[in-house]
Amino acid sequence: MIRLQNVNKNYGGRPALLNVNLHIALGEFAFLVGPSGAGKSTLMRLLYREETPTSGNVFLGGVNLNRLHKGQIPLLRRRMGIIFQDFKLLPSQTVFNNVAYVLRALGVDEREVQKRVEPALAVVGLEHKYNALPSELSGGEQQRVGIARAIVNGPPVLLADEPTGNLDPATSLEIVQLLERISQRGTTVLISTHDQPIVNAMRRRVISLKGGEVVTDMDNGLYELEMQ
Amino acid sequence: MLRTLRIFKRILVETGLGLKASGWSNWLVTSILCVALTIFGGVLQLTMTLKGLVEAWGNQLEISAYLRDGYDPKAVAAEICQFPEVKQVEIVTKEVAWRDMQHTFKVAAINNPLPNTLHIKLSSPDQVETLAPKLRLLNQVENTKYPLKVAKKITDIRHFLELAGIFITGALTAATLTVIGNTIHLVIKAKHREIEILSLMGVGHFYIKCPFVFQGAAYGFMAALMATGILLGVHLYVDPYVKEQLLSLAPFMPQNLQYGLLQTSMMMAALGVLVGAGGSLWTSGRYIKI
Repeated sequence: MIRLQNVNKNYGGRPALLNVNLHIALGEFAFLVGPSGAGKSTLMRLLYREETPTSGNVFLGGVNLNRLHKGQIPLLRRRMGIIFQDFKLLPSQTVFNNVAYVLRALGVDEREVQKRVEPALAVVGLEHKYNALPSELSGGEQQRVGIARAIVNGPPVLLADEPTGNLDPATSLEIVQLLERISQRGTTVLISTHDQPIVNAMRRRVISLKGGEVVTDMDNGLYELEMQ
Repeated sequence: MLRTLRIFKRILVETGLGLKASGWSNWLVTSILCVALTIFGGVLQLTMTLKGLVEAWGNQLEISAYLRDGYDPKAVAAEICQFPEVKQVEIVTKEVAWRDMQHTFKVAAINNPLPNTLHIKLSSPDQVETLAPKLRLLNQVENTKYPLKVAKKITDIRHFLELAGIFITGALTAATLTVIGNTIHLVIKAKHREIEILSLMGVGHFYIKCPFVFQGAAYGFMAALMATGILLGVHLYVDPYVKEQLLSLAPFMPQNLQYGLLQTSMMMAALGVLVGAGGSLWTSGRYIKI
């Protein structure tokens, strides 16, 4: 589903990613770990085509993202869900409207919006908070809204960039377990994080980055302390 | 089709939200654009009026060519008719002229001293200076007469007003573009989160930028409406007074000049929408990086 081939990314001559080769299969659940500045966010940005690699190729579902022109990027992004550390919710909109916002912008009819948003909120356990504003929710609940928004289109790929960065340990575990449940329904999930206890509690595939290089890539892996 | 309509409806909703968020800036932008459009419209109407005046007066403008004795005025008239600047030639023979003169004034019984005269009407008053020297070159023509100064002055004033209008409208348009740019920039800043979310969730660039362009176009349209109101006021309350004064100064002035307010309004609306939408498009292209 996701494939990186000899990917390098430099910022003004400073390397952020060095010869990265990766393959993540359809329906797989993986962590991308490493300390700050290891290149996790850069790699994520390459996947949703916020950036392009300096050299090498990035494929998503067989499509070479380097070859996409500007007008095709929105189409790519509709095929993936993105979850952010800062949730990126609209403070003046209700939970329902936050999830429905993009669907409405895409011209989806209101009945269909209802049909898609309700199950998405049910998956994240917020079916009873449709009309709440983000300010009335806890951090964990706000992130659940972010997840509901990311899955409302039924994307085959879910990218979560430090999704637990603003949450307490217990809530972080709940969020990652929720993402794992979503993955079990066939969605490829890639989570970038430096939250060691969560990664080690899950015992799933762990791709470790350090100084822009993939240093380990293990199934049932652990986030080694010396990495930090 | 329905999907497109729903998207269009959402764009209009977003445009409305953008206008609501802009608050007093809306009035600032609209007022400046209104001033620019009023000047543009005013100058346009004034030039149209002057053009009408010159044309109406030009229709009466003619060159009188006095012929030497011994030439057949009909033959000369036929020759002059070949010039492209000539619209019509009227022959006044020396006999007719003398009879008229005798009829009007008490004239002593002397031999007819008047020449055969041709009254030449022009296809355009601008061509007086082109045709007159050509006529003077003809052997048959002894002398020519035409009221050049007035025609030239009116044409000069019209040209000056056109240039001044273009300059002032251009300067005010540039000022408007700056104000529109700043206002739209503020709206973009206020909506940066929505823009980021829409962009990252795969909503097209068109949808993201369109509300800003529509907002700019709305400013232009509103300003054009206000400018039309001002010009209508001038047309209703100031024009009759000015016209009266002008007629007392220049009784020959044609009295049925058309101001073409509807045409002017449409041009102001087109310019306003173009400037508003163009300014917003440029600003959104500059500040929204997708």
